[in-house]
Amino acid sequence: MGSTAEINSLSLLSSAVLDDYFFSVELPARLREGNKADCDAIARYGAIVGSEIRVYPSLDRTMDRARSYITAREQKGLSVASGSLILASTLNHSKGRFQRSWHAPPGGIWGCLILADTFLALFRNILPLIPGIACCEAAMQEGVSGAAVRWVNDVLIQGKKQAGFLIEGFSSPVHHEQYHLLGFGLNVNNSVFPEDLQESATSLSLVCGHSLDLCSFALSFFAKMRWYTGLLFHEEVQWLARGGGDEYQGEHPILKRWKALSDTPGKRVRFGYDVMQSPQYEAVVTGLSSDGGLVLRHDDGSVSIEHSGEIRYC
Amino acid sequence: MSEEIDFDQILGKYHSDPFEYVDIFAEHTGTVRFLVEKGNDVEAVSGEWKHIPGTALFEITRERNPKKNTATTNGVVSEVCSELEGSFVEAGEKLMTIRHPLKKKEIIERILQEVLFIFPAPERAKYFFTLDIQSRIKKKGAREISVKPGDEIIIMSLMKRDTPVYYNGEPGVIHSVYFQPGVSVDQGAPLIGVCPTEKLPMIQKIITRVKADWDQQPK
Repeated sequence: MGSTAEINSLSLLSSAVLDDYFFSVELPARLREGNKADCDAIARYGAIVGSEIRVYPSLDRTMDRARSYITAREQKGLSVASGSLILASTLNHSKGRFQRSWHAPPGGIWGCLILADTFLALFRNILPLIPGIACCEAAMQEGVSGAAVRWVNDVLIQGKKQAGFLIEGFSSPVHHEQYHLLGFGLNVNNSVFPEDLQESATSLSLVCGHSLDLCSFALSFFAKMRWYTGLLFHEEVQWLARGGGDEYQGEHPILKRWKALSDTPGKRVRFGYDVMQSPQYEAVVTGLSSDGGLVLRHDDGSVSIEHSGEIRYC
Repeated sequence: MSEEIDFDQILGKYHSDPFEYVDIFAEHTGTVRFLVEKGNDVEAVSGEWKHIPGTALFEITRERNPKKNTATTNGVVSEVCSELEGSFVEAGEKLMTIRHPLKKKEIIERILQEVLFIFPAPERAKYFFTLDIQSRIKKKGAREISVKPGDEIIIMSLMKRDTPVYYNGEPGVIHSVYFQPGVSVDQGAPLIGVCPTEKLPMIQKIITRVKADWDQQPK
């Protein structure tokens, strides 16, 4: 194992390295579970993820950098490759939703995936489920047990948050292209948290008891992001070939995988749009609707479905 | 927006028929079975979190998967397309009409919605004002906030995906806000009503006139 700086370096990441990893590790593993034609199609659709990778030693926020990058490219008459990744070894002004603080020192994976909004409306809701699945699977691949997804896409290990994701829409200023900026923060080798996060946050090195090769873990995570993004596009094609319609019939494979990795169904939860500041009610999660909504049974027996907001386990 | 408003005509319309007729359509294809009859009272969705479903109106079965459709507005079933009972319907086919009694506040809102520029929700989601607009509303009130096409005024939140919504209507001030933070808004439902500054006195005149006129009418 190399020095701490080497272990925590993402500078070796490139689209070529990710391609190599995907075709030598990820795809063969997927081929063992699925048929070749589908797997090859999914790999083709997902190949955009990480087609361009930019790694910075330090940034204020990767989401802001993504916006300025898109703007600068357009102003020069250039386009932005959908699937571009912007990564930073450390963030100076990172934040989660509702301006919550997010500690992003060296040792974690902090970044933003730029995706052009080419998704059909019916499938757009599935996109936020993908990063939680990818992170959970990557952690399990490292031998971590007890990793689970909390709706929508928080990854918890032993009840503490190991990774968080958010998606912000962005309309480019010159051509008015719509983008999804998928921000991610994965605690990997960073093991010291500010006091207000000590009770609620964890990292893979804390759970495993040793440091991980950050670049290897990032490759595993991005390869799975590539797989599930490809699967989302592939399912769109399959659904259109079946005649399309107003609803997705049956269970979407990404939703099915999410359910297998989530510990949310069956839990009693506090729900709120901003659950930390303004919890609204408590209810029991009975499942997920076909479009990813949270199905909640209230104490009076009635059932509601929430598509936006967040939960905390009671 | 017209300068002149024929108050007598507008008010006369609502006095003679103070109801809204809400047509209910099939959401998707399938075999329909009606669960109410003409003349039945129906209740709207209720509960603090709008989690208690309204009266079950009909059931549509597609591929052995029955799905009940419930009322979102209260009133009386004024028409049922009973000839469709047991038959296969297409998505968008009209199935019944509910006659919803309008309250004074609803009538004012409906008149205003005819004269304001209504900016609708692009998707069923939760909405909130951008931080900048929110702080300005807090300081000055919505009616002091000017908006113009291209302004980023509202954030749409769906499945932890926050998307800015850009205003694309007439320039003006935010007169009416139809959404509440944390409450889902249906696709196409109004988010805000915008009024050109110079038309504000006319809008106020409408509200005052409707309130006064309605209160004078025998109940």
